[in-house]
Amino acid sequence: MDELFNPPVGTWQRVSPQLATVRRILILVPTSVILIAGVALLILLSDLRWIGAIAVVLALALAGWGWFWAGRNQRSWGYAENDDDLLVTSGVMFKRLVAIPYGRMQFVDVEAGPLDRAFGVATVTLHTASAETAADIPGLPAAEATRLRNRLTELGEAHGAGL
Amino acid sequence: MAPDSDSSSEVVGQRTHPLTAVVQGARWAAAASVGLVSSVFSGDGWGDLSPLLSLLIALGGGLVLGMGVGFLSWLFTRYVIDGAELRINSGVITKSSRRIPYERIQSVDIAEPLIARLFGLAELRIEMAGGKDSRTALHFLPLAGAGELRRVLLARSDGDQQADSHAPERRTVIAVVPPKRVIIGTVLSLDFAFAALGSLGLLVGAIWFGQVIVLLGGIVPLGSWLVQIVGKRVLQQWDFTLSRGEGGLRIERGLLSRTSQTIPFARVQGIAVKEPYVWRRFGWQRLEVDIAGYAASAGETDTDSSSTLLPIADGPLAAAIIAELIPGSAFESVSRTQAPRRSRLFAPIGWRYRWVGADERTFVAREGWVERTTDIVPHHKTQSVELTQGPLQRRRRLATIEVHTPQGPVDADGRNLDEQDARRIALAQLQRARTART
Repeated sequence: MDELFNPPVGTWQRVSPQLATVRRILILVPTSVILIAGVALLILLSDLRWIGAIAVVLALALAGWGWFWAGRNQRSWGYAENDDDLLVTSGVMFKRLVAIPYGRMQFVDVEAGPLDRAFGVATVTLHTASAETAADIPGLPAAEATRLRNRLTELGEAHGAGL
Repeated sequence: MAPDSDSSSEVVGQRTHPLTAVVQGARWAAAASVGLVSSVFSGDGWGDLSPLLSLLIALGGGLVLGMGVGFLSWLFTRYVIDGAELRINSGVITKSSRRIPYERIQSVDIAEPLIARLFGLAELRIEMAGGKDSRTALHFLPLAGAGELRRVLLARSDGDQQADSHAPERRTVIAVVPPKRVIIGTVLSLDFAFAALGSLGLLVGAIWFGQVIVLLGGIVPLGSWLVQIVGKRVLQQWDFTLSRGEGGLRIERGLLSRTSQTIPFARVQGIAVKEPYVWRRFGWQRLEVDIAGYAASAGETDTDSSSTLLPIADGPLAAAIIAELIPGSAFESVSRTQAPRRSRLFAPIGWRYRWVGADERTFVAREGWVERTTDIVPHHKTQSVELTQGPLQRRRRLATIEVHTPQGPVDADGRNLDEQDARRIALAQLQRARTART
């Protein structure tokens, strides 16, 4: 079943585990706010105890699921630089494999928010003339992201075929 | 706009037509009054003012204000054509200067909105590839001047730098779609029938039961849908003429506002053949085309139908035009890969009508049983290929393959194919696209 989303040649390059860390933090911040609010309700307002209980359960469930999801999702990302195209795969439930010929790339973006930078990861996004393409690779180590961008730009120029 | 003025106008540039301000004012007035027309009918104006008076104020105010703004923006707008690019400088407070390198031009259209048309003016629309904001409009120019400028721009975008010979263009008309055909075609399409019968039924029902509120609630959405259908399929396609020139096809159409579009042969990213249910019995087809840059500006005026290549045509004519735009494609006789029977969970009826295939030149995807759609994408225009599989599809061993094209009506997807087939087709498509590019 899994070989369906294997690259035609070679193996996937995996992304940094720090991606999971960043995402876990992003999930834990709002869930802990809900958790604190829920606990406060439980302790302070005896009338609204049931709301507090629901909030606590919800927050814990969300945090637990998010923790699990972030790890699984991070492991599902992969990319491969082939001779003529870049392949990107992602998803556990909804699996996806996109292949973008280098000659079709219009431009490449590298993005890193403050949290990403703190953990040394960045997102590389490839754009073609099609809006559907949406090929982004999150969680690349910063150095690798720069290398990939330069390499892709280079390859794009070498393979460039116009529209 | 004559290219011989290149050297002298290098810095200053040229202005658009002075009547631009008047047209702009009239458009504002029209826009301002549209909202009030309904309140005239319902009998209430602005506060204590009588409805007619408020309409007049809106008209006059819109006219004066629009003319003022139009005049200012006209005063500060200049365009320059030089050896390498078209520059448009504009802006009263915030200056902006847009540079359009000739080789980036995807197509150049001339639009004559109704009001501008009354003054003999036209708007020049220059499409470039890319997301939002890829359309540049130069309004307004005299019609003849706009035509001349377009010819120069198109020739230069083709790489002919010295294109300024004043020789008249040679064009041959391929097809004229008479208004009668367009009307018949629209009447026979299901969505029109649904909207028309729905409105009618609602009207009758409401009168019968005397429920005016119900009528108003239902008739507004249905009626506006109906108006939209008629506007898009009939008025905008009135006197549809498709002709062939040196660089590409030209479409001229419209009853109230006229549009003249150019489709350079090399810029066609894909074609969609649409055959609504009733049309199939008569062998009629509608052709739509993907041009980079067109659909990105959708939501504006009439872009939806600007991707229409032929509003209605017989099979042989449609096939001839496809053969002209994508030469060497035998899209009806490609070896087909059908969706397997186990995909009926996702499309109980539609799965039978779904297949993808490819020949030497094109990738073809067919789907739909009410409106049959055949999408044709030339291999060398393939942007990227995607393979996806959701949890339900995985249980049924199905997968979806998408061949990405620039935004537009063409959507070459093979949904819910056998997973091994899908992967094989995706990889083969990459290989074919690679070969076609080199």
